Amino acid sequence: MKIGRQILSFFIVLLLLGVAWELFKWFGGDPWRVTNNPFGIEHNPPFRIKQASDLNLPHIWEIISAFGKESRRNGPMLIETLAAASLFTFREAITGFLLGGFLGLSLGTLFAHIPLLNRGCMPYVVASQTVPILAIAPMVIIWLKAGWISVAIISAYLTFFPVTINTLRGLLSPDPTTIELMRSYAASWWAILWKVRFPAALPYIFTAFKVSATASVVGAIIGELPSGIRDGLGGAILNFNSYYITGPERLWAAIIASSLVGILFYLLVTAVETIVLRNRKTK
Amino acid sequence: MTILSINNVSKRFNAGSSNETVALQNINLTIESDEFVSIIGPSGCGKSTLLRVIGDLIAPSEGKVSIHGKSAAQSRLDQDYGMVFQAPVLLEWRRILPNVVLPMELAGIPKPEREKTARNLLAQVGLKGFERHYPWQLSGGMQQRVAIARALAIRPKLLLMDEPFGALDEMTRERMNLQLHDIWRESDTTVLFVTHSISEAVFLSTKIIVMSARPGQILEVIDIDLPRQRDDSTREDVRFFEQERAVREWLRRAESGG
Repeated sequence: MKIGRQILSFFIVLLLLGVAWELFKWFGGDPWRVTNNPFGIEHNPPFRIKQASDLNLPHIWEIISAFGKESRRNGPMLIETLAAASLFTFREAITGFLLGGFLGLSLGTLFAHIPLLNRGCMPYVVASQTVPILAIAPMVIIWLKAGWISVAIISAYLTFFPVTINTLRGLLSPDPTTIELMRSYAASWWAILWKVRFPAALPYIFTAFKVSATASVVGAIIGELPSGIRDGLGGAILNFNSYYITGPERLWAAIIASSLVGILFYLLVTAVETIVLRNRKTK
Repeated sequence: MTILSINNVSKRFNAGSSNETVALQNINLTIESDEFVSIIGPSGCGKSTLLRVIGDLIAPSEGKVSIHGKSAAQSRLDQDYGMVFQAPVLLEWRRILPNVVLPMELAGIPKPEREKTARNLLAQVGLKGFERHYPWQLSGGMQQRVAIARALAIRPKLLLMDEPFGALDEMTRERMNLQLHDIWRESDTTVLFVTHSISEAVFLSTKIIVMSARPGQILEVIDIDLPRQRDDSTREDVRFFEQERAVREWLRRAESGG
């Protein structure tokens, strides 16, 4: 099974990364005491490397067990806090993904049919991506109001670009003879778009969707920072960042939650792609 | 009855610029219905361009094309002709049946009727049982037969074929020639067939048009003196060799510039 092997390789690499992480701490981290590790080991690492200290690089078991501890005094468990934050951010991300996807599909389709518009506007589309999202985010918050919709729009700003580019490429991908064939049957531009260009563009569009899925999560997290929204992963990261000294593993746990949201969104898009393109020849 | 008439057609690419090329010059031609006409000539003589001008896929610089008394543009809109290209140009995401159905779908023919027609056509080109396959599961020759079935789907009065068997091996090509010949005789379709192959042209045609290159002009129209019905024995007929030699002679002249 192809999928089975892929999952297996993923976990093998994860295991290797974990081993490398702990080896680094074994040789350069803080001393292991009987009381501070689950194995009851006493060990004095031969070197002292700042980046390997318990503050900078907590033990993996510290991070994992942090999920089950209170996120603040008398508060809910960290896993509950992070799950709620993930859901909140995911809602922003998926809204941004849909907004950006729709905008990208529309722009790509327009550009494919109106070369003048393509030449005139494409430079601005490209330029839009050179402006740092951190500069755009506060603007959007000021124009609209601080809320999850604003964050979704910031996220859409990151996601529309790959979709625009790939839609345009995909729509122009059918070879000229196919277009001639359609014209020989008196097909309208709409029929050519719907029956030839769009199906031909689908593999390109899904490639863009996969990039956009992960970008939309990043966009949502960054969008939360200047808007003062505390309910999402951006808020959690900001919060645990300011209390890093007293509990570094909580920030690491929030990072893991963030990447999990991105990975799950990516897998969701891939699953839809597999279904939609199931009858295509694999190249 | 005249099905196709071409009057004084010329086509220049990049007209007015320094790299202007004259692809076609003063083409005059009439084709009667029920004929099988091949266009043969050296590479770059404008054969394909002529076919595209007739199909209203490119506009001539001068002159007029009429199909059944209608302008080329009107004929295209009325789906009066079917076209087969060198590549099968099948839609890879459609199964074989929907590929054949495509032109009928565009013409707005009701679904049950168009699927029935497509099934019959696939049987006619020897592809019964492949309706649910995808194009990439078929060989090149089979794909080209799907393309022919698709071109016949709208019952065209005129079939324009641009080197349809050019990419096939010799044996497959001869088998396809025979099949095309049978299709032509059984239908009331006039065929205009562009080819590089002399034997293919002689085997299939009632008339061969020899073109010369740069600028593309009609050098000679040869009537083929063979029985209307062709089969494997045709290729052994003495007349077959004579006509082949005549065409070859004209082609040589075409290549040496008339």
